[in-house]
Amino acid sequence: MTDSKKSVSATLAAATCSLLGSAPTAPVQAQEEPSWDFNTALLYYGEDNDRVQDLSLNILGKRYFVDDRALTLGLTVDTLTGATPNGAIRQGVPQTFTRPSGSSAYTIPASELPLDDTFKDTRVALSAAWEQPLGRLWKTGVGFSGSFEYDYTHLGLNGSLSRDFNQRNTTVSAGLAVARDEWDPVGGTPIPFSPMLDVGDIGNKTGTETKDVIDAVLGVTQVISRNLLVQVNYSFSNSSGYLTDPYKFLSLVDGVTGDTITRVPAPGAEGPSHEFRFERRPDDRTKHSLYTQAKYYMGGKVLDASYRYMTDDWEIDSHTLDLRLRWPLGERSYVEPHLRFYTQSEADFYTISLVDGVELPAFASADYRLGNFDAITAGLKYGWKTRSGSEMSVRAELYRQSGTIPGELLIGNQVGRETYPDLDAIILQFSYQFGW
Amino acid sequence: MNKPLLASFGIATLLALASGCSTMGVEPWERDILARDDMQLTADPVEAAIDDHIYFSKEASSGGRGFGGGGCGCN
Amino acid sequence: MVDREPARSVSVAAGQDCLVGRFDAMASPCEILIESDDRDEAARLTRIAADEAWRIEDKFSRYRPGNIVARINASRAEAVEVDEETAALLDFAATLHALSNGRFDITSGALREVWTFDGGDGLPDPQAVRNVLLRVGWEKATWRRPFFTVQAGMQIDLGGIGKEYAVDRVAGMLRDAAICSTVVNFGGDLAVTRAPRERRAWRVGIEPVYAHEGRGDTVLEIQTGALATSGDARRYLVKDGIRYSHILDPRNGWPVEGAPRSVTVAADTCTQAGMLSTLAMLEGYNAEAFLDGEGVKYWCRR
Repeated sequence: MTDSKKSVSATLAAATCSLLGSAPTAPVQAQEEPSWDFNTALLYYGEDNDRVQDLSLNILGKRYFVDDRALTLGLTVDTLTGATPNGAIRQGVPQTFTRPSGSSAYTIPASELPLDDTFKDTRVALSAAWEQPLGRLWKTGVGFSGSFEYDYTHLGLNGSLSRDFNQRNTTVSAGLAVARDEWDPVGGTPIPFSPMLDVGDIGNKTGTETKDVIDAVLGVTQVISRNLLVQVNYSFSNSSGYLTDPYKFLSLVDGVTGDTITRVPAPGAEGPSHEFRFERRPDDRTKHSLYTQAKYYMGGKVLDASYRYMTDDWEIDSHTLDLRLRWPLGERSYVEPHLRFYTQSEADFYTISLVDGVELPAFASADYRLGNFDAITAGLKYGWKTRSGSEMSVRAELYRQSGTIPGELLIGNQVGRETYPDLDAIILQFSYQFGW
Repeated sequence: MNKPLLASFGIATLLALASGCSTMGVEPWERDILARDDMQLTADPVEAAIDDHIYFSKEASSGGRGFGGGGCGCN
Repeated sequence: MVDREPARSVSVAAGQDCLVGRFDAMASPCEILIESDDRDEAARLTRIAADEAWRIEDKFSRYRPGNIVARINASRAEAVEVDEETAALLDFAATLHALSNGRFDITSGALREVWTFDGGDGLPDPQAVRNVLLRVGWEKATWRRPFFTVQAGMQIDLGGIGKEYAVDRVAGMLRDAAICSTVVNFGGDLAVTRAPRERRAWRVGIEPVYAHEGRGDTVLEIQTGALATSGDARRYLVKDGIRYSHILDPRNGWPVEGAPRSVTVAADTCTQAGMLSTLAMLEGYNAEAFLDGEGVKYWCRR
């Protein structure tokens, strides 16, 4: 073929046109299948009242190899800013607190919920997982997870095994995960129940602390019919070690008035205006969960419903009901409304304040996340497929947490003044899935 | 609820399901709908991980469908 | 292969979220992938495809007594008047002969008298090949539309164009017959009638050249256009460790040297894809260079 470039194709195209009696209707579009499937998402989470705001980028890449073996790699980067309740109760006067770092103090106006806005944190999380079939009916997987922030490190390993029965209509699976997490709090770990000290005084701070976690899951997935799939999982989780939040504390109050005992910092120093004691949680926690999920296809629409019951030895019980309905719009897009209902009962050591002059309880925490509350999430997602075959979606959700403080925990002036720090948050997510 | 009782209840439910399920299901050629992307139990793993992380940070419960990812020092 | 007469039946079954119509034609398993869940429609389209494939097979196969090819091959140097469709194919063959500098030649049918590619080591005697070569050569035939005259003993063989032509003919008919996307796949030579709407693309595997390669298929995605593969996966000879491809150079009667094991080309029509992959094989060692020079997408295995 000594013809100049492309002249063979051109002559061939003309000859073919004559042979077939018509020109091709569309130029050829063919390529090798992309090796990697990427699933990426950009997330904004923002609470009202200057509380926590989070922006994160999540990337998951999956590559299939021969025989259904697959490698999944994940990266998440998120930045957290904003304030969070520090555990102290409101007072009719301004309150001053020493920051966790011990290097300065901050003051909260009278009657306001005390929030600590120290936290501007960036976290990077990585994960890697390998899954592969073992023979025809078994499947196995192993994975690694790691998460890194300036004051917290998590490292974990997990493994799973599953087997199909009944012509793959039934799958039984088991998984185990172990993790070692380490706290290296800013300013050191406070001794539990020790008082909050003046700025510059780190007498009650010690070094790093660790926590070990074991998770085990046993599950059954069952095809009920051509349109219905159901899964039931039982999970067991045990955490041991340092389970306390080093940045949270409780107000030490008068047993009659319920007001926080006042305090004067050392001469020439800045420090707390009132008496606060760092919280103390047990060094062990065991959780049991029963989770069930169903996916039901109804003529183009898909309903995803799940329920989870959780109970633990901190006396916390929770129920979660999650409902999603994917509703196709035309051939290339869909809307998906979402509703989630959540309720939990408080931990047995959850309390609002510590009473001065009375023997301290074994454990205590005023962290609202261990309290008694209900939460609702309501959201809408819209997704579409682009011409090139990628998928995009946007979702907007509202999350509202509203709780109650058990009456017996409120003392004197706290009644009527102290309320559960209700939370309103917005969740916005843009996601993009593509092959490469 | 009594914890060991709950654990036994959980495992018993699973075993009952697993054994009672031997006659339920579909033929291999009837799996067309089940093969759809939107019929997978975790249709969007990134969104599931995001939600798990948000609720783990704001509530006292976590997980359920499995695990993977891990903890954080979330406030 | 002459003994095989598969039953001419058509079936429709469910595929990977599409319907698949199947039948046998031109010594290949043929399938029509249909992006629809209407079985009646699928059956109708498969019927259209099968009828056209069998019509072309009956008309142009060298194994059917009495058809136009048989009449030309038995014509003993007398002019044979051909119809419009055959004339178009002969025009095409003429263009390809010139374009390939003689490597592509439909008058090379006589070579199968001395070459049998059965995986064995039966190489023909060079003198026998030279003798047969006397009855091979487009320049020895006379094509003056609509009359075609071949030398006595010359055998024409449209096997190199027939299947791809059939794919394009069927694709054209299905494009007119239905609005859903379909793939016309005759044993690996395929064309897409229109871009699919419910999926990103149709997924096609390029067969591994050796059976033991297992599931290491390369998977291609195709939205529009066609794919054709030239290869010697099943038809070759091996002697003294040298593998002889079944692609013969009609200018010397011997297999092309240095041909790749298989070449898959993507082009706008199956005919173009098939011709480019055949021309590439005929280039032997220069197959990839040729295709690079033409700017076409291809996948080559050596």
